[in-house]
Amino acid sequence: MRKIKKLTALACVLALGTGLFTGCGSSSSSDSKNVTVNIFQFKVEAKAALDKAVKAYEADHKNVTINVETVGGGQDYGAALKTKFASGNEPTIYNIGGPQDTLDWKDKLEDLSNQPWVSKAYTGTLDAVKSDGKLYGMPFDLEGYGFIYNKAIFEKAGIDPSSIKSYDDLEKAVQTLDSQKSQLGIDSVFALPGKETWVTGLHLSNAVLAPELKDGVSAFKAKTIDFEYNGALKKLLDLQIKYAYKPDGTNKSINSVDYSTQVEQKFSLGKVAIIQQGNWIYGTVEGVDKNIAKNMGLLPIPVDGVKDGCIPVGVPMYWAVNKDKDAATKKAAEDFLNWLYTSDKGKQMIIHDFDFIPAFKGYDSSSLQPEDPISKEVLRYSNEKNTIPWVFMGYPTGWGQNQLGADIQKYISGDLSWDQLVQNAKDNWAAARK
Amino acid sequence: MKKKHISFWCFLAPVLIAYILVQLVPLITGIYYSFTNWNGIKSNVTWIGIKNYVTALKDPTFTSSFIFTLKFTILSLIVLNCFGFGLALLVTRKSKFNNFLRTIFFMPNLIGGLILGFIWQFIFIQVFSSIGSAIHQHWLLGWLSDGNTGLAGLVIIMAWQMSGYLMVIYIASLENIPSELTEAAEIDGASALQKIKNITIPLVRPAFTVSIFLTLSNSFKLYDQNLSLTAGGPANSTEMLAMNIYNTAFQFNLMGVAQAKAVIFFLVVGAISLTQVYFSKKGEVEV
Repeated sequence: MRKIKKLTALACVLALGTGLFTGCGSSSSSDSKNVTVNIFQFKVEAKAALDKAVKAYEADHKNVTINVETVGGGQDYGAALKTKFASGNEPTIYNIGGPQDTLDWKDKLEDLSNQPWVSKAYTGTLDAVKSDGKLYGMPFDLEGYGFIYNKAIFEKAGIDPSSIKSYDDLEKAVQTLDSQKSQLGIDSVFALPGKETWVTGLHLSNAVLAPELKDGVSAFKAKTIDFEYNGALKKLLDLQIKYAYKPDGTNKSINSVDYSTQVEQKFSLGKVAIIQQGNWIYGTVEGVDKNIAKNMGLLPIPVDGVKDGCIPVGVPMYWAVNKDKDAATKKAAEDFLNWLYTSDKGKQMIIHDFDFIPAFKGYDSSSLQPEDPISKEVLRYSNEKNTIPWVFMGYPTGWGQNQLGADIQKYISGDLSWDQLVQNAKDNWAAARK
Repeated sequence: MKKKHISFWCFLAPVLIAYILVQLVPLITGIYYSFTNWNGIKSNVTWIGIKNYVTALKDPTFTSSFIFTLKFTILSLIVLNCFGFGLALLVTRKSKFNNFLRTIFFMPNLIGGLILGFIWQFIFIQVFSSIGSAIHQHWLLGWLSDGNTGLAGLVIIMAWQMSGYLMVIYIASLENIPSELTEAAEIDGASALQKIKNITIPLVRPAFTVSIFLTLSNSFKLYDQNLSLTAGGPANSTEMLAMNIYNTAFQFNLMGVAQAKAVIFFLVVGAISLTQVYFSKKGEVEV
């Protein structure tokens, strides 16, 4: 009996002891030939496609190993990235968002001005990551947003989407839809996700601040804002609030509606007719109802006093290369990124697996056109030059979501007057830029 | 005094090293960074004195988070300890089901904070509103859409998770009450309520000290359930202190100010806990 006890004790000690050695993995120090590239990126929707791309690249380049780590969500990525660097496990390729990130991460960004894809990028997509004449980022993709509507519901209600140009047209159409709610089988015309402060505080505000701030870099430099078109923002919010899905019938319950409720529960099941979102929702909607996914249309967000018929199109994130890695690793990283967006194999994957709208020229062939209806619309607006830039990239850190977005939530629940909201917005901007 | 043998230090070393590296070193470097303008990335920082502390104390969101956290702590203190003590009394009577009940009541404690928050968020928003619209009870709709239902929601999930844990502590203390005392009281004709009031509660005082201390410090420091249940919304009305500090650090990129807030937080929680333990210990009775 004692012997068995002793053996068990010895076995336990050995089992725990081997745990000590799991940390000592094979260190991936680059020999003269083999390099390891670590990617730390934020787009959860792109993870499967990225893994496929990595496999394809590794098959052609046997000496390169690429590891992909994905962290979801907008703000969590920033925190996770800082932690990664602080822990010493710096990735080779990571993501930066715009002028503020370029400034923060200056010491860790490799200059990409001499890369082959630079000449192929559309004008205006690279300004946000330029600093002191050097270029520090590569655009992920182009994204656009607006009022996405369900084509079948519009047809049933007898509304012609091409006739909706101004705010008044939109209001009339919304009223028509609202009066036929029961026949159309919808709970309400809109679903406003009050919980998602990025939809209201960043995207919706962009539509009214872009005319004033002109572009992301100017926004970044602006010391104050006049908020000239705040009246238009109020009208857009009031319209969406009035005809929005309210879980318990009160305005303030709009603040408990999140992205999943808005896109999956309501829009993908045909319970609302219009939502303010962008081309990134295609995959989500397709997973619920393929029919609705194929029959979505995009309406521009009408702002009184500003040219109608434009949608905000911009670059959500940029790829960046870590300056502190050795030359061979950096070269492999830059080569991979270039291959992904400019080689034939890579281009096919960008369009068909990633479902991206590329920010580069060279995707003109018919097999390289986006498949989903919203991306097609975004590309059309882009080619017709009916776009406004994403200026929210240049907002002061946290101003859009945590200050304006939070104030909009208070306005929705009736706890804050509009004038106070506008005053807060202006004061917070000025204070952040001091 | 006997000199401590080297083996004493050998056994203590791993825990001591882990504690120093994971708790003490960050605390001290954090206090250092709270006097600088660090932004989380750059390695050279400049000393700016107490400017961060002034900014932290003037920040209105810090004050409102503090008040909300206080409200939550007081509520959860009362609710959790009543539940924990009540459950403990329930499972220390003579019953065949005691062990089974104890297991059931303790199980919620095994679920981690984030998953707990997400599951309860689903229950509060989707399940409550479905039931509410089915049986026409208006108060069940629209949960978590304002500060009050958010506070109630947080207290409910805290109670659901921690009551079992506190129950275990109270059970240990209850079972230590010598049965001669309770039997003597019964012979003297004491009712159940009198027994609880005059014998059980005074002798369980040490357990109260521990439980109140745990509830206080856990409620003040709560983060993961806060994040998954409400994420501080709507309009930052359910943002607790830990979340306020995290947001200052990572969403506003003001690492120095966040560190200053963290140091203030540390001092406040430390002061409250130490005061509470001191006064509770004074009231304990030695068996």
